[in-house]
Amino acid sequence: MYHRHGTGGRAMLFVAMLLAMPHASADEPQQVAFNEHIRPILVAKCVACHGGPKQAGGISFLYRTSALSEGDSGEPAIVPGSAEQSYLIERVSDPDEDYRMPPAEHGPALTEHEISLLRQWVDAGAVWQEHWSLVPPELSTQPAVKDTHWPNRPLDFHVLARLESQGLAPSPAAPKAQWLRRVTFDLTGLPPTESELKAFLSDSSDDAYEKVVDRLLASPAYGERWASMWLDLARYADTQGYEKDPHREIWPYRDWLIRALNADMPYDEFVVKQLAGDLLPNASLDDRLATAFHRNTQTNTEGGTDDEEFRLNAVVDRVNTTWQVFQGMTFGCTQCHSHPYDAFEQEEYYKFLAVLNNTRDCDLPEDYPVLRVPKSQDQVAECEQLEQRQVELGTELFRLYSEGMSDDRQWNSLTLTAAKSTGAAQLSIREMDGNNELVAGGTISQGSRYTIDCAASREEPITALRIDALPMDPENSLRIPEEGFALSRLQCFVASSDGTETREVALQAAFCDELDPVFDPEDSLYDNHSGWSVFTKIYHPRYAVFLPAEPLRLADGETLRLVLHQNRNTSGLASQVIRRGRFSVSTNPQWSTLLTGQEYKTLRDELGSVREQLRAIPSTLVPVLEERDPVAPRPTQVFVGGSWLERGDTVQPGVPASMPPLVSDGPADRLDVARWIASDSNPLTSRTMVNRLWEQLFGLGIVETVEDLGASGQEPSNQALLDSLAMQFQGELGWSVKRLLKEIVLSSTYRQDARVPRDLQERDPRNQLLARGPRGRLQAEMLRDQALVLSGRYSQHLYGPAVMPYQPDGVWQSVYNGSNWQTSQGEDRFRRALYTYWKRTSAYPSMLAFDMNSREVCVARRIATNTPLQALVTLNDPAFMELANSFAKRARNEGGANARDQIAWAYRQATGQQAADAVIDELCLLHEQALQKSPAKSSDTPDDSADQFAMTVVASTILNLDGSLTK
Amino acid sequence: MSYRILHPDSPSPLREGQLSINRRQLFGRSAGAVGVAALASLMGKESSATESFDAVRSRFPSYAPRAKRIIYLFQNGGPTHVDMFDNKPKLHELHGTPVPDQLIAGKRFSTMTGQAQGKLMLAPVEPFHQYGESGAWVSDLMPHTAKIVDDLCFLKGMHSDAINHAPAISFMLSGAQIPGRPTMGAWLNYGLGSECEDLPGFVVMTSVSKGTTCGQIFYDFYWGSGFLPSRFQGAKFRGSADPVLYLSNPDGVRPELRRAMLDDLADLNALKHAQAGDPEIQTRIAQYEMAYQMQTSVPELTDFSDEPDHILDMYGPQVREPGTFAYNCLMARRLAERDVRFIQVMHAGWDQHNTITTELYTQCVDTDQPSAALVRDLKMRGMLDDTLVVWGGEFGRTPFIQGNIDDRPRWGRDHHPYAFTLWMAGGGVKPGITYGASDEFGFNVAEGGVHVHDLQATILHLMGINHEALTYRFQGRYFRLTDVHGRVVDEILA
Repeated sequence: MYHRHGTGGRAMLFVAMLLAMPHASADEPQQVAFNEHIRPILVAKCVACHGGPKQAGGISFLYRTSALSEGDSGEPAIVPGSAEQSYLIERVSDPDEDYRMPPAEHGPALTEHEISLLRQWVDAGAVWQEHWSLVPPELSTQPAVKDTHWPNRPLDFHVLARLESQGLAPSPAAPKAQWLRRVTFDLTGLPPTESELKAFLSDSSDDAYEKVVDRLLASPAYGERWASMWLDLARYADTQGYEKDPHREIWPYRDWLIRALNADMPYDEFVVKQLAGDLLPNASLDDRLATAFHRNTQTNTEGGTDDEEFRLNAVVDRVNTTWQVFQGMTFGCTQCHSHPYDAFEQEEYYKFLAVLNNTRDCDLPEDYPVLRVPKSQDQVAECEQLEQRQVELGTELFRLYSEGMSDDRQWNSLTLTAAKSTGAAQLSIREMDGNNELVAGGTISQGSRYTIDCAASREEPITALRIDALPMDPENSLRIPEEGFALSRLQCFVASSDGTETREVALQAAFCDELDPVFDPEDSLYDNHSGWSVFTKIYHPRYAVFLPAEPLRLADGETLRLVLHQNRNTSGLASQVIRRGRFSVSTNPQWSTLLTGQEYKTLRDELGSVREQLRAIPSTLVPVLEERDPVAPRPTQVFVGGSWLERGDTVQPGVPASMPPLVSDGPADRLDVARWIASDSNPLTSRTMVNRLWEQLFGLGIVETVEDLGASGQEPSNQALLDSLAMQFQGELGWSVKRLLKEIVLSSTYRQDARVPRDLQERDPRNQLLARGPRGRLQAEMLRDQALVLSGRYSQHLYGPAVMPYQPDGVWQSVYNGSNWQTSQGEDRFRRALYTYWKRTSAYPSMLAFDMNSREVCVARRIATNTPLQALVTLNDPAFMELANSFAKRARNEGGANARDQIAWAYRQATGQQAADAVIDELCLLHEQALQKSPAKSSDTPDDSADQFAMTVVASTILNLDGSLTK
Repeated sequence: MSYRILHPDSPSPLREGQLSINRRQLFGRSAGAVGVAALASLMGKESSATESFDAVRSRFPSYAPRAKRIIYLFQNGGPTHVDMFDNKPKLHELHGTPVPDQLIAGKRFSTMTGQAQGKLMLAPVEPFHQYGESGAWVSDLMPHTAKIVDDLCFLKGMHSDAINHAPAISFMLSGAQIPGRPTMGAWLNYGLGSECEDLPGFVVMTSVSKGTTCGQIFYDFYWGSGFLPSRFQGAKFRGSADPVLYLSNPDGVRPELRRAMLDDLADLNALKHAQAGDPEIQTRIAQYEMAYQMQTSVPELTDFSDEPDHILDMYGPQVREPGTFAYNCLMARRLAERDVRFIQVMHAGWDQHNTITTELYTQCVDTDQPSAALVRDLKMRGMLDDTLVVWGGEFGRTPFIQGNIDDRPRWGRDHHPYAFTLWMAGGGVKPGITYGASDEFGFNVAEGGVHVHDLQATILHLMGINHEALTYRFQGRYFRLTDVHGRVVDEILA
């Protein structure tokens, strides 16, 4: 039908185009198409029981093969070519209610018409089709229209063809002021200024509209406005979330967004950088910063919580968010079971989860790993060079160590003779697989310090000490990892035969099996809370090597005593100590040769100096994605029923089979998948973004369920329009968001008058047909920003840490971390709304009232509401009142000599419209009343403060007019 | 520029008399006019929601409700069931001995306890006695509650999935451990709408006992609307001068001036509507009027001067201090009288990790009398029949000790979701009964287990809602309060 034009190239859909128009009799289509006629019946009436999670009677209607299978009845549900032989038809058309499908308690029976469609479709061969959204969009021909003068952009043809098919005509073009207000808010989130309005009204050139659009797209405010939208998707907040909800320093990501959007970074690149910028060849600091997108997941620092549970929650959230944001799919449904409506299997969820399951972050309060982002952009290049050099030096050093590790036979197991621990832990020594090992049991106190005595050979001097830490159950720990450890300090003593310590052995160097561990093993040589760690969970056996400054020779009767300090705790208060350890030494002289060699010294010296220089750069440490070292990957299994504690089969990283295949050398990584999303052959990426932008401009997506383009979402109101824009976006527009927005806002569709006659309002209350221009309430951020601009106090300062405008006392409660709301001073009090500090558990209340969400999870669209609490905010919030007061001051200074002129001026500023005399009369009357009732009024002559009060009352009223609250 | 009137048949916006008639039509109380009650239904207007909320409300109640409103006295932190309501003589016998291995096998505890193996059992700190005709056991810690046991229905087989506060509270109130789902009050207002014309249908009040050392605080997601539109979220009444945020007029703006502003706004917005034809504008006019009414009704609500002394005394001395649990309990009754549908009174401080012999006592003093007074007060007014009162926390506490058994002043118990106690009163629940029981250790459910989702299903049922039918589609899936679980506990229905 009308919205199938775009896929007309496909035989079945082409035939569908020939069908009757929607309002004509649809009773007997000449040919039945699966997506058009059949899938909606199956989704509405069958798949709830015969779908993904539930396959009653062994039948599922999600895939053709299963629909054609016999199921438990032994009779094929569908026999292509023969409705008579198809059990499906028999069951849905049975006159006996007890026998008929669906059962009465599950819903109404199929209509005659639906049964007839099913019959025709089965008789014609039961041809199956992919859901429209999984079929790539195709270039479509421009539809024919009667009114050839109206279309101004390609998209207008699709809108007009649809309108004409409904017997409707578009509305006239909006008055210039109406369009200017709409486009200025839509592109920059700000109202047009009076001078911008004047300039536009007096510009009668052909490209007057285009000039405005170009000016707006070039404004830095553009990036701020669209960053606001993206921050909802990124579930961005300035705190970590969950119970304690402490501060998180991640605003540089918000600034990255603003810069990327202002630079019009192509959308495909924008996607790849946020999902996998760290894995790009020669990743820049900005590329790595972009990955903070997925570090906006919540971190749980509540006492008693299991870091693995909440790490996995974060990964699950990343999977769901990735699909919501970039693919417009409700992939999250498959976490617990196969998708009830779309062709996604549960196992595929975990294949995708495996792609994201190997980042190093693990629900730590410090939000490791973090990226050093210089506070000054001027130092970025220097910082990048130093970081680069640090990586080179670290790699070189690791190569030196690795050469020493090449001989496995050098390690002689130490025989443990005694072991004790502080606290309640019970240490024991046992033989296991031919190794002497230490095992900790009982209640293990946090911060347990072990003292271990070992007998060592006295023949050769000891040149290296190796500690192996193992999971108690190495097989199960690959599924549910065990508590890890942090060796905050290692001390090595020589003890005489009577057990007294005779001397401490100086340790000079340490390294572990990872090239670049989060905590430096060498910190184990000093008293601090860092050091060799497998923190906070251990999956695999791991080791570290410690090198004494000089070869250690033991005399007769002397033994080695190791003291293991383990002083680092998790926020969940789980003990982080080695529960199973093996200890061995090497006497290979290469280790001492290494430490005294020139190469080692040079590397160490330079590394030390590079680190020092890096530390000297004033920076913000921002959580980012980083991949775990391949030495210790996290395997991923299916979570049975979605529960992380119940694991099924191990899966390899991958993407769903119903989507285009992934191109990768070797196992798929995050970068492969990011590129797969950002590719032209992905059927969802361009459509999803086009639909999202459309929703921002028109208030309603072409597919209304912006978050769900799948079978359970709404059908597109005009698929040809969606697909042609999607093809244009990824094709000729080169994924340029600015160029796409320009196409839309210059279109005749967008330029229509928003005023709606009653009959059209009744016919199309939600403007799905687009026979008029869009109209809607300003978003929360726009409301504040407009008031800022009108007050004249708007700070144009871009970027930087979040600010705290006025907030009523007592809104924040922060018992744990002592953070409190400190109203920003100076211009920071008047920054755009997107810079407002966002605390998840106690979000800025006046913006919440206007439908902002608390940003715990990705919310793909805000549903606009219209409530009394909103009125209380804009009428009474002292933050708004302060701005109304300044606005009144401006009116009195700039608006003319008398109150009437000033009021007319204020009205024009706020609404972009000239007020009618009757309106001014009414507001003047209010001004009079306010003067009379002014608390400042003490005599018959209105003094300055009384006049200011009265004008503030009028300014506040104007700010509350529908004309001010809407665009 | 001048106005272009698109609808020649609409009233001329420039004739003032006509305008005020419009306003009277909207707000007048005269017959045939759109009265104040209609404003309440206008509260249900969304700009562009996918489903009509009026249509949702037309489906509920599913059947005749037993309760019209709920007062949920949420005891945040995990009240220690074995010290307060669940009398286990066995714990005296086992005091100081290791917890039997079979009790803890395969169980998760908070990572603060980690391995429960070897922890010592701890006897209740105060004696229990039986009360009333029902003979319910109550600890000496709760003397006032002891006097109303014949009105209460104890659930002693409560159990939960979550072992830490925020997830467990979220689970209790929203059916999911991760924040982001609608809470019970939001669901009820979504399904049933608000009965109340000038107050929000879902009100939340919070308090903490003085001197408590626990750091429990309250998060917006405990009364959030999740993916439901934000107007369904609980309105938090604060224990301060401005109980509702932004309720007070700005300094110097007196009510008559505010009235004049609103009249102007209504006139000018009506004019705008005549021009632009967008019905949202009419809704906006109504919402401003509703805001004005709230400005009047909330101060009346919080003015206790019409309460006689004997009522105030019944709630205890703290009732006169805004922000205390006692004050909030009386507020809850006043809100219930005004037909607020869901009143969530939260009190923190029950997290006795090392304060069983100290702060637990303060905690009980602060909550025992007001909770009992509320039930008595409702009963005296005949409101208990259709008001459901629920008293309970997110889990119980371990029958074994946290801390050193030799250090009595620092005795504590850790979180325990495997069995705990909660009571309900009124609203269609059988009075004077105990349903369910824990085992002889107070450790696991022995019989009559009520899972969190069962409790939610039962509460919805009492409000006349089939919990499986109250759904909302989000991210492609129909969500409900009870997820895919929940059994109505028929055994306790009156």
